[in-house]
Amino acid sequence: MFGYVMPPLHTLPEAEAERFRRAYCGLCHTLGVRYGPAARFILNYDFTFLAILLSDPQEGGVGSGRCMANPLKRRDFLEPTPVLELAADESVILAYWQSRDGAADSGPLRGLKYRGAAGVLAPAYRRAAAFRPAFDENTRRQLCLLGELEAERCPSLDRAADAFATLLAGAAAEIADPTGRRVLGQLLYHLGRWVYLIDAADDLKEDAASGNYNPVALRFGLAEGRWTPEARREFAATLDHSIHMMATAFELWDFGVWRPLLESTLYTGLFQIGRAVLDGEFRKRRRMDTARKMGKQQTNDIQQPD
Amino acid sequence: MNDPYQVLGVPETATDEEIKKAYRELARKYHPDNYHDNPLADLAQERMKEINAAYEQITKERSGGNRPGGSGSYGGYGGYQQQYYGGGQSSVLQQVRIAIQTGNISRAEALLANYGDHNGEWNFLKGAVCYRRGWMDEAKRYYETACQMEPDNLEYQQALRYMERGTRSAYRPEGGEFGTELCGGNDLCWRMCCAYMMCCNCGGLGGMRFCFI
Repeated sequence: MFGYVMPPLHTLPEAEAERFRRAYCGLCHTLGVRYGPAARFILNYDFTFLAILLSDPQEGGVGSGRCMANPLKRRDFLEPTPVLELAADESVILAYWQSRDGAADSGPLRGLKYRGAAGVLAPAYRRAAAFRPAFDENTRRQLCLLGELEAERCPSLDRAADAFATLLAGAAAEIADPTGRRVLGQLLYHLGRWVYLIDAADDLKEDAASGNYNPVALRFGLAEGRWTPEARREFAATLDHSIHMMATAFELWDFGVWRPLLESTLYTGLFQIGRAVLDGEFRKRRRMDTARKMGKQQTNDIQQPD
Repeated sequence: MNDPYQVLGVPETATDEEIKKAYRELARKYHPDNYHDNPLADLAQERMKEINAAYEQITKERSGGNRPGGSGSYGGYGGYQQQYYGGGQSSVLQQVRIAIQTGNISRAEALLANYGDHNGEWNFLKGAVCYRRGWMDEAKRYYETACQMEPDNLEYQQALRYMERGTRSAYRPEGGEFGTELCGGNDLCWRMCCAYMMCCNCGGLGGMRFCFI
């Protein structure tokens, strides 16, 4: 997925922020144990959110250790559980197919990173697909459908978003309790819809420049990827309907200790990210962050000979 | 039945006022208005019944069993699903209404696909099917067409009004406003998000990390 779904941890007590970090590090650890160090690079906030949604009401055992990213400080992480393993398997399958998809959509040069990612992930993917054949098949089917809709430049927001939403709803299929499966299926459907739409909105300008398919631009007839006030209002309303569907589903299932994190993500975090994407701030921030990191790297390189 | 205090999420030592406050918050959350035409409305309705029963029981116990019906609980709501019975004369569209009402969305869709006269009612029912499927943008457009074809129809107007303004009054904890464009000002929102991104060093390569794909 794309890294849009995150809890506003600044508004939560430190204990909740720590809980989120334990889940994030726990998923990373599970990916490492199950698929080797390379698979850890697919980790992002969206996959962590998926893991939390699928979690048992109580936290499992907590381990502590150092990792490549944090060699000096020990970090707490959730020990692998069947749920973290499920989330890790589904994350690998999603990441693999999305990188394959990215390779097919991009030119020979830009597609390199996607082909590289798909190549590195291939062994992990084969194992994950063997663990979760139904989820793999659903993911493949929906991405294939999405590819067809993109090729025919489908102008329907809902039809294009439905493929990705159905794909993500498939992540709930292994929940044993029928009510839980139903509630989480609905929540994940609209989470997938929201992620797909917000990603399209985030790519508006880039797609306008490259001529790539963008369902939001087509639906509202946006020139050069620029919002009109009317289109923006309508688009925000359709995002809000999906957030409402997620929130109403969320209130019907016992998420135990994960409730504050999920509640703040659904009722606050999604609005904030959505607003930032519509204002063009999300992308700007991401670019600045990348530039900041690269600048730091360059400074280090220059300073080393001294 | 579960412990009524547990259902309301309050300790047994809670004051009457605290109990009433907890009950009102839950009633707002599971209110039929918040689950209007929601595919999970049946579960919300069950939850609401449980909350009402718990509140009735506590108030009855606390008043020594002498206040029958005096708890002031929210009873007899209008229901969680829009009533799709009624409508025009066509027996096919009548069957579509029954299929929607009973949650058989695939049947409703198939019946609509085979019905040639795309009149106001057809567009309204098509909108209702889209809404149940989560196709919110198309639902709104079908409702708009229905309203254009029959501007005086209150049923269609109500559906369109809900699509346009429905989530503004949606439940949000502690009564905050619900909406992407209502999120308290761009600067504040975004700085808050960033505050975390910058400090999250937990498992990534430092700072905010996006998936590289």
